[in-house]
Amino acid sequence: MNAPARTLELGRVGESVKRVDAIPKVTGEFAYSSDLFAAGMLWGHTVRSPHAHALIEEVDISEAVGMAGVHAVLTHTDVPGAKAYGLEFADQPVLAIERVRYFGEPVAIVAAEHPEQARRAAERIRVAYEPLEPVVDPERATEQEPIHDGRPTAGHGFRDDPRPNVVRSIVIRHGDPDAQGEVTVSGVYELGIQDQAFLGPESGLAVPDGEGGVDVYVATQWLHVDRDQVAPCLGLDPEQVRIHLSGVGGAFGGREDLSMQIHASMLALHTNRPVKMVYNREESFVGHIHRHPAKIWMEHRAKRDGKLVNVRARILLDGGAYASSSAAVTANASAFACGPYAVENALVECACVYTNNPPCGAMRGFGAVQSCFAHEAQMDKLGAELGMDPVELRLRNALAPGDSLPTGQKITGSFPAAEVIRRAAALPIPEPEELPRDALRLPGGSGNTTRGEGVRRGVGFAVGFKNVCYSEGFDDSTAARVRLAASDDGIAAVVHCAAAEVGQGVVNVILQTARTELDLDEVVLGSATTSSVGSAGSASASRMTWMAAGAVQLACRAAKDELERRGGDLEHGETIDVERVYHHRPTTPLDRETGQVTGDGAHVAYICAAMRVVAEVDVELGLTRVVWIGTAQDVGKAVNPQAVYGQIEGGIAQGLGLALMEEIQTQDGLITNASFTDYLIPTTLDMPPVEAQLVEEPEPDAPYGVKGVGEPPTVVSTAAVASALRDATGRQLTRVPVRPDEIVGLP
Amino acid sequence: MELLRPESAEAASAALGNGSVALAGGTELVPLLRDGIVRAEKLVELRDVVPRGFDGTRIGAGTTLAELEVDPQIPQALREACSLAASPQLRSMSTLGGNLLQATRCWYWRLNFPCYLHGGDVCHAKAGQHREHAIFGSDRCASAHPSDPAAALLALGARLHTTARELPLSELYRLPTDDNRDVTALEPGELILELDVPQPEASVYLKAMERRKWSFALVGVAAARFADGVRLALAGVAPVPWALSSPDALEQATPLPGTAYKVDIARALIRRAVEAVGAPRSA
Ligand SMILES: Cc1cc2nc3c(=O)[nH]c(=O)nc-3n(C[C@H](O)[C@H](O)[C@H](O)COP(=O)(O)OP(=O)(O)OC[C@H]3O[C@@H](n4cnc5c(N)ncnc54)[C@H](O)[C@@H]3O)c2cc1C
Ligand code: SF4
Repeated sequence: MNAPARTLELGRVGESVKRVDAIPKVTGEFAYSSDLFAAGMLWGHTVRSPHAHALIEEVDISEAVGMAGVHAVLTHTDVPGAKAYGLEFADQPVLAIERVRYFGEPVAIVAAEHPEQARRAAERIRVAYEPLEPVVDPERATEQEPIHDGRPTAGHGFRDDPRPNVVRSIVIRHGDPDAQGEVTVSGVYELGIQDQAFLGPESGLAVPDGEGGVDVYVATQWLHVDRDQVAPCLGLDPEQVRIHLSGVGGAFGGREDLSMQIHASMLALHTNRPVKMVYNREESFVGHIHRHPAKIWMEHRAKRDGKLVNVRARILLDGGAYASSSAAVTANASAFACGPYAVENALVECACVYTNNPPCGAMRGFGAVQSCFAHEAQMDKLGAELGMDPVELRLRNALAPGDSLPTGQKITGSFPAAEVIRRAAALPIPEPEELPRDALRLPGGSGNTTRGEGVRRGVGFAVGFKNVCYSEGFDDSTAARVRLAASDDGIAAVVHCAAAEVGQGVVNVILQTARTELDLDEVVLGSATTSSVGSAGSASASRMTWMAAGAVQLACRAAKDELERRGGDLEHGETIDVERVYHHRPTTPLDRETGQVTGDGAHVAYICAAMRVVAEVDVELGLTRVVWIGTAQDVGKAVNPQAVYGQIEGGIAQGLGLALMEEIQTQDGLITNASFTDYLIPTTLDMPPVEAQLVEEPEPDAPYGVKGVGEPPTVVSTAAVASALRDATGRQLTRVPVRPDEIVGLP
Repeated sequence: MELLRPESAEAASAALGNGSVALAGGTELVPLLRDGIVRAEKLVELRDVVPRGFDGTRIGAGTTLAELEVDPQIPQALREACSLAASPQLRSMSTLGGNLLQATRCWYWRLNFPCYLHGGDVCHAKAGQHREHAIFGSDRCASAHPSDPAAALLALGARLHTTARELPLSELYRLPTDDNRDVTALEPGELILELDVPQPEASVYLKAMERRKWSFALVGVAAARFADGVRLALAGVAPVPWALSSPDALEQATPLPGTAYKVDIARALIRRAVEAVGAPRSA
């Protein structure tokens, strides 16, 4: 079944509701953060390192400060407060101090009347560098000179790993790691660096409030954690920094870290003028973190009947120069390394290292994408070794409620892995199309490279899963505020929630929840700023629907109780104003030595998806066409089914991009393809039709039984597309993106 | 920066050099200026002085790719090559002359590495990443010429009329040498004005890309059938557009370790292109 054709304007939970931002976005009227404007504003510009690793001998700003239109040139000595920041560890300088650790690292900032004046002044800032040998090979990083003094991530309760440049390492020892099977398959798998490639580059506007504080209007994913990093660096109290969500042009994890927030604020406070900063496309590629590239070895030991006995994995992630959320990505890559399968014995070793490569952090799928590509390649290999149907093999091992993960955590909530596998496998695949066909319906597409010569068809299958919400003891919560007031036609409500609308449709979730709870159509979305409501947490980890619905539900119920207490009606001018904070059930850390759960468990809940892919490959040219994708996804409860289908298709496109073409290329740490001319992302011609089935098994602890939907399609589609290409070509295809050079030359 | 708008081709030629650079659609030049690879104090606008449009087999160098891709008078290989280049927005700005003179996409060159083509001693691509690079003519520089229309025009046997002379397209290009790193043989101030493009009996352009649309050729193959035989030319395989005397000539390729796969792609594409244009009528 596909997305419903009809959508409502003012629907409730479970109904397909037209996205509030849909029409303005397609008609070009939506205001993105790059469209911000303030009277008298200046333009900021960032001077960046051309080296991946170098000492800074001198920064000479003398010429730049005197140039026409220039109002400020600032370096690290001008950072008013803390000199470094970071999502989890404050290891990243606001502006480089003595040393640059990655290509594009900010060194100085400029504000001028016109963006071109700012750019020219930036060119005149003379930075004398002494280049250092960059650490670029993650496999050698643990033997090379540390790129950070001290160990920024030491003392955070992680496993002791004395090797240099280790951000975090995890060992998960489960059952008997030496247990033998009757059949063994192993392989080494690699993933390149993927970029979020959001279309709206980093941008925002900082406006001084005249009293020493600043208002920052910015496209971000988590307003309050931005504030908590910005304020200390500015030497201000949190209340003096107000972060306002501006129009977000895509995020996918890439806006979890700060970009221009502190820089624009420094310039604004220094000049006492509003300062706007907008990165260009090339700059955006160095202006945010990326998906961790990975090298993964896995060995699967199984019984002849296909039952897994033991999974052994070694995972190496390249975190780049700064920690960002690498520690949490490391945890995810290890916790989900065995896939959604019940395995009694496992030994998973995972390390993330610092290098002078582009910094990596959060991206849709967060560690699970990398593991899924490897474990599903292994399952295909095991199936082939056993002569067993790939679907049958996966069903035989499917993880179910009551089973334990390799971390020892028992699955307690809903987890319909077997059901998504069955539903995806049952989707009928399209018949091969007749020849001759239009070039656009053949591998090679518009290039007109084949009329059918060399074309082979393959069918792939993959299953994957990950966690919903934050993990490992992180005290996660979302606040919502509801105000009720008398209006001409009864009672009207305003809801505030700082959940970042990043294109996923959370605004609709908030409104649909409020309409449902208050049984009212008159619900308006209030402003989302750090001063109007408490933290919503991050629009990430597929958590925002669950958490926002939970918070809005609590606040609405509290408002209704209050209304009842007041006799069920409000006088003109009378209001009710309540704020409530929703927490999901608590989690606890993993044991630092064994990787086993302590206390309640490391994760809140899990989401899974299965996918079937039909692909055609021109084996003489190595060109591909993904023909069709069918998927079944565990969503708990679809709050807005139309938006859920949208997330599934978008998530698939991103995973398909990684499978076929997306990769940041580097040479000695420098990004060599920082543009949409050279970094290819799929176009609509590369995307096949998607047939999606929603599996709605409510999560017991969640509002309405919702889970999350944003990430599973991305986790699984890379693996599933690769599986189809393997089937078509008979090649192992152990690295993504799979490029023509890995396919051509087939006998 | 100053923009000059000369009124004749001669005036434009005279204005060039000494920090003045010719500007057609600007889709190639502007990014190069922005990245500091080309430096210019003055831009000499060609719009009013280089012919645009076509008449029989004569094509103005100022004609846009968008205009060429739709006109049935234009041989199929050239139409297809134009329609497969860049994106619709770019094609409506891009001129044929500018397309023939576009620079390599080699990342090292575009990032201003001091490589051989920039006048240095080494080719960084050979020692580094070169999956997109050459299989022919890579002694010094291993870049791959990105123009699709150039391959088509080469197979079609096009001739150029410049402000100074008339020459076959093949003579527009040269491999860089130690004393001259240029890949074209235009004299200072020489402008391409028009092209003569013979009508073949049949022609095609096939383009292998990493994405189904809007990307540069890994390998592009143009085949044009004339009474005396089928002529072949390739894009994406050498620092200049590369003509092949016969399909077997592909076996003379000297690929780098990372570009050997391009030989396989070219072999299959050539076979398909030759099949598509069929045998000469006279044969
Ligand atoms: C994102 C992107 C993708 C692209 N993809 C492709 C592709 O797939 N295939 C492909 O073939 N091309 C591709 N191109 C290249 C594009 O086709 C060229 O940029 C375009 O054709 C150049 O034409 P122009 O008129 O804009 O030239 P300009 O940028 O104005 O000029 C280019 C150069 O030619 C010189 N010049 C221009 N006209 C003349 C003349 N008449 N006489 C002498 N000198 C002249 C200029 O001085 C300059 O050095 C792509 C370009 C971009 C930006
Ligand atoms: S291929 Fe040519 S352009 Fe590229 S690095 Fe080598 S010499 Fe320079």
